[in-house]
Amino acid sequence: MRRLVLAFGFATLGLVAAGVLISSTFPDGLERVAATLGFASRTRNAGLASPFANYEARFFHSRWPAQASAGLLGAALLYGFGVLFGRTLKRKRRNAPRNTR
Amino acid sequence: MHIPDGFLSTPVWVSLDAAAAPVIGYFVRRTQARFDETRVPLLGVMGAFVFAAQMINFPVGAGTSGHLVGGALLALTLGPWAATVVMTAILVVQALVFQDGGITALGANILNMALAGVWLGHWAVKLIGGGAARQRAAVFLGGWLSVFGAALLATVELSLSHVAPNRPLFASMLGIHAVTGFIEGVITVAVLEAIARLSPRFIFRGEQMES
Repeated sequence: MRRLVLAFGFATLGLVAAGVLISSTFPDGLERVAATLGFASRTRNAGLASPFANYEARFFHSRWPAQASAGLLGAALLYGFGVLFGRTLKRKRRNAPRNTR
Repeated sequence: MHIPDGFLSTPVWVSLDAAAAPVIGYFVRRTQARFDETRVPLLGVMGAFVFAAQMINFPVGAGTSGHLVGGALLALTLGPWAATVVMTAILVVQALVFQDGGITALGANILNMALAGVWLGHWAVKLIGGGAARQRAAVFLGGWLSVFGAALLATVELSLSHVAPNRPLFASMLGIHAVTGFIEGVITVAVLEAIARLSPRFIFRGEQMES
């Protein structure tokens, strides 16, 4: 298990660091279809203005640090979610009455 | 694949948001009750990995790109219940922090990628998986189906919202995502083969899978 966790941890860091450099800048499938069929202009912002919109940290002015730091933040948030969810899961089981397990 | 705010009509996004909340609540409770504790360390690292992989777009032809969705990959490493919860967390972070996918469209994106994307991948392997060659084919099909099924649902939601005429909408969405799904299938097979070399017992195979 430890090897697997380490492997995916390093792979995640590699994707975050190098992904920016190799990622295609073409629009994705839905964006392409929306542009071709003329409904892309319906896109609205629901009132949120995140400093990390479009996977770019606004406070960096060049592409690599802006995107790599945004990717790192997202990966850290998801890792944190998984750790917390796993801990909650274990705690709930420890506290559950034995006959309901 | 992430539907932004504004594409879906109000009745469509309200219905899907209202349906998604209790469904995900049920999935969280079910995961807490049944999840294999030895896999707990994978919850965080797989969520982070799939998030990072989704950031990388690859060209699929005709000036269009696609990215890994990871539904089948999560289903086959965490099991479908936990995979749905983790994929939902990914979609929530993407919508709230990175504005990728709409906040009002979150229910739709959860239905498409966290429910259909994960469970189609799971069922493909559960129904077809067996020996090594069949397992590989099932994983590929699961990866393809997870993208194609999610795209089909997204197209139905867009169609119900009357964004464009049905014929070109379905033809273009399904055509592009059939190709993206092919690449998803190849990547899913490659990643699972790598996991199999490191820790084979952490991949769910057809005969081990719960329904």
